[in-house]
Amino acid sequence: MDRKTGLYIHFPFCVKKCNYCAFLSFNADESVRRDYANALMHEIELAGREFSGQISTIYFGGGTPSIMDVSLMSLIMKAIKRNFDVLPDAEITIEANPGTLGIKDRVVRAKLIAYRSMGINRLSMGVQSMDNVRLHMLGRIHTAENVVRDVTIARELGFDNINLDLIFSVPGESTEDALEDAEKIIALRPEHISCYSLQLEEGTPFYEMAEQGRISEVPDEEDRETYHRIIELLRESGYEHYEISNFARMEGMGRAPGFVSETDAPAWSAEGMAGGNDCSPYRSQHNSLYWSLDNYIGLGLGASGFMDGIRYRNTDDLEEYLRTLADDQLPVMEEMINSAFDNISEAVFTGLRRREGITFEEAGAAYFLNSENSGEEADVTDRDTDLAADELFRKVFSESREEAEEYAAKGLLVIDEQGLRLTEQGVDISNGIMSLFV
Amino acid sequence: MSYLDNIRNFSIIAHIDHGKSTLADRLIEKTGLVDKRDMKEQYLDNMDIERERGITIKLQTTRLSYKAKDGQEYILNLIDTPGHVDFNYEVSRSLAACDGAVLVVDATQGVEAQTLANVYLALDEDLEILPVLNKMDLDSARPDDARAEIEDIIGLDASEAPEISAKTGMGIDEMLEKLVETIPAPQGDPDGRLKALIFDSYYDSYKGVVIYTRIFDGRVKKGDTIRMMNTGKNYEVTEVGYCIPGTVPADELKAGEVGYICGSIKQVADARVGDTITLASAPTDAPLKGYKKAQSMVYCGIFPAEGEKYENVKDALEKLQVNDAAFNFEPENSAALGYGFRCGFLGLLHMDVITERLAREFDLDVITTLPSVVYKVVMKDGTVLDIQNPSNLPNPVDIAHIEEPIVKADIMTPNEFVGSIMSLCQNRRGNMIHMEYLTKTRVQLHYEMPLNEVIYDFFDALKSRTRGYASLDYEFLRYQPAKLVKLDILLNRELIDALSTIVPEEEAMAKGRGICEKLKDIIPRHQFEVPIQAAIGQKIIARETVRAYRKDVLAKCYGGDVSRKKKLLEKQKAGKKRMRQFGTVTVPQEAFTEVLKLDDGR
Repeated sequence: MDRKTGLYIHFPFCVKKCNYCAFLSFNADESVRRDYANALMHEIELAGREFSGQISTIYFGGGTPSIMDVSLMSLIMKAIKRNFDVLPDAEITIEANPGTLGIKDRVVRAKLIAYRSMGINRLSMGVQSMDNVRLHMLGRIHTAENVVRDVTIARELGFDNINLDLIFSVPGESTEDALEDAEKIIALRPEHISCYSLQLEEGTPFYEMAEQGRISEVPDEEDRETYHRIIELLRESGYEHYEISNFARMEGMGRAPGFVSETDAPAWSAEGMAGGNDCSPYRSQHNSLYWSLDNYIGLGLGASGFMDGIRYRNTDDLEEYLRTLADDQLPVMEEMINSAFDNISEAVFTGLRRREGITFEEAGAAYFLNSENSGEEADVTDRDTDLAADELFRKVFSESREEAEEYAAKGLLVIDEQGLRLTEQGVDISNGIMSLFV
Repeated sequence: MSYLDNIRNFSIIAHIDHGKSTLADRLIEKTGLVDKRDMKEQYLDNMDIERERGITIKLQTTRLSYKAKDGQEYILNLIDTPGHVDFNYEVSRSLAACDGAVLVVDATQGVEAQTLANVYLALDEDLEILPVLNKMDLDSARPDDARAEIEDIIGLDASEAPEISAKTGMGIDEMLEKLVETIPAPQGDPDGRLKALIFDSYYDSYKGVVIYTRIFDGRVKKGDTIRMMNTGKNYEVTEVGYCIPGTVPADELKAGEVGYICGSIKQVADARVGDTITLASAPTDAPLKGYKKAQSMVYCGIFPAEGEKYENVKDALEKLQVNDAAFNFEPENSAALGYGFRCGFLGLLHMDVITERLAREFDLDVITTLPSVVYKVVMKDGTVLDIQNPSNLPNPVDIAHIEEPIVKADIMTPNEFVGSIMSLCQNRRGNMIHMEYLTKTRVQLHYEMPLNEVIYDFFDALKSRTRGYASLDYEFLRYQPAKLVKLDILLNRELIDALSTIVPEEEAMAKGRGICEKLKDIIPRHQFEVPIQAAIGQKIIARETVRAYRKDVLAKCYGGDVSRKKKLLEKQKAGKKRMRQFGTVTVPQEAFTEVLKLDDGR
């Protein structure tokens, strides 16, 4: 299998924490950001020495990478190109939140021009809603007008790959409200839309407000109604539903493909598998790595990585991060060598997030991913290598077979000679299905 | 001067948490006959469960050596006692093996319910009691108050009670000196006929049952044929010795001494606590008084969980029984849970310990059903049935009346909580006998209460209403007629026999409603609606519905999330393992034990 490698760089800074956010981020002044950038460049250098392959995607995520000073970003980008072999056509994304690019048009323009000149070719904007009241409630610092302005300027400057994030099921929001938001986002014709239902995470202001009964979570029934209607709207508007929460614009007009529906599941054939010509060219290449058990190097505070069957995670303590790098050490805090079962299991549950699902071939390849280097040979026998991919799959997951078939009988999961995939209805209860394979 | 003059046989008695085990450890460290290094493994390494809960379940008996200020070397036999009301009988037999007891009172807490209960047990055995004040290293120690309480409540002279800290070792020497002085030497005739008390035993896979014994008269050595006077069984002695701790062989044990006897005995039930050992060739005329067969007070069903083998559970229960004469079980068949076992315990703690050991030591997934007491069901034809499984309750039309066990419950509390305890006991059908002020601020309440009301979560409720200050002691009193009915629970219109309970008629409605509400929270959402109903006979008295779920999906899963998401899925999978399938409804194991814990601290 041709395994790609991506680079994820984390920026744990935000102007202000959103009310629903449980990610690692905080407000920091210029001197902290500078120290961080210096440490990060050192980390890039150290990590670059350990990796000799090519980088096919780069993703600046956060937090809010766009609040980093452009001069620092440019230094970081240079450090990456100096220490890694970045493919010329690499997808390079930055999360640029509306409102953080600048208040004045002039500033937004200057920042975006700088991004382009550094080689950044994809913008991901945390729009979340196009309703100013709801934006305020979410704790966002921008308005719907900012979004329209920032997207317009980006277009003028030639950004031709833009993702907009949308959150639905905000407390108090109806299905109609959510669809209105989606319409307004579609009107901007972004190449990519990520669409999440709001989850109340422990430790967030929203969670506390819900505990105190000040806001109430949207009931599951309503949330699912919204989800499926948004899918319908997006597909009708030409967006391929290619992952549970992700949509990418098709080149042609007409209704875009998506997860197979429970009713026409049996008729669905292998034609629609990954790489087929009904795939949008705007799928997020970087995020797709996560769902295909490809490699990614994670750099920055609290970042995670996966390299040849080894998962690792950086410290999430800023002091420690800076100190470790000052000592010329990588700030990796945790490292776990996957067993053959870990690999196949991760390949299956992440793969099931995609509309094409997981093929037996991919699952089998994952199973043997690090049988040479992990010291876990014991659970891979010679007999396994002789098995056909689908036989191997059935053997590894023999205990779950019955239950998987029950899901299939209910039209929630498709199992055919190629592999397994969720139906659109199966997505709603996908945790239950995925848990059969861990 | 006889060798007996240099022996002291004693126990340490205390309320839970007052520092009994710490003191025992300290004594062994100071005067024990084993290396400190070995001691760690041999003595301190009790069962995990004991350590976590801070209670002693299995006895530890230890021989200590102390050189007193009078220049004499004394053998001190420390006979440990279990620290919980469930094991009152064992406590009393341990005490019967002693000539005195060290009463440990926490100087920060004063006298508690179990302090009293244990003192009374010790007084019943005619023991000399040496009070000591523990935890004197703490700033919150108030020795004068504790001393006054000992004198006022128990009536012991505490003016010279040693002030110690078992934790730091402070005052231990003074205490030992006082112990030798206060506690009398044992009496007995080494040349008389053998009369020895079994106060504990355990199963050893090499030696068979190891009996802990106190010799009152006569002597015993390897090769003797001994007889258990109550069970009438004879065994040839293969080894005798001292517990130092562990087992160290000796030539013989004689009157006044404490030690162990082995005789190729296959299970502890053949060497029952309280039984008298004598020689088959020259038996003593009468056994020691006080022998009782352990009686189960609380029963529950234990069933293999989904995917667990019946045989594995059976093997584990058998292994536990070999070592625990108070635990018994028999096969049971439940329509809902399949084949399993009905198990009898001394009390709730005993039950908790056994079920936890099944999980920890045997790595078994089991489902425990609601605990139940033994009801006496008097039939119209005059026969009396013992019913401990609600499902076996005969048809109500054939029943004349039902009797339930009543306990005498003594609750000791600071006076500020009296009102709240009284309302709790009232709710639990308690009948107050009287109330007394032990001191200005400490009150003892005496109640008669159905055991059934005590076994669920009474202790937790008591603790939560009194911020942990109240203490409880109870013992069986009598059987008493009561108006009781069987309350059934139906899931998705199917009767789940393992959830049936016997409840007072006037409370059936409230209990039914409570159980349905509780189950609604416990039973996970399914892909369809699950009605939960409570019924008496054919009549539905309460109903709740678990709504169908529509959503179980994680919206995001990016790089860092993969591990987190995987843990979540693994947890979900493990959770499912602990559930049980009834038709199409999946019920988590906790439903069977949590469902009757209806007290929310109101």
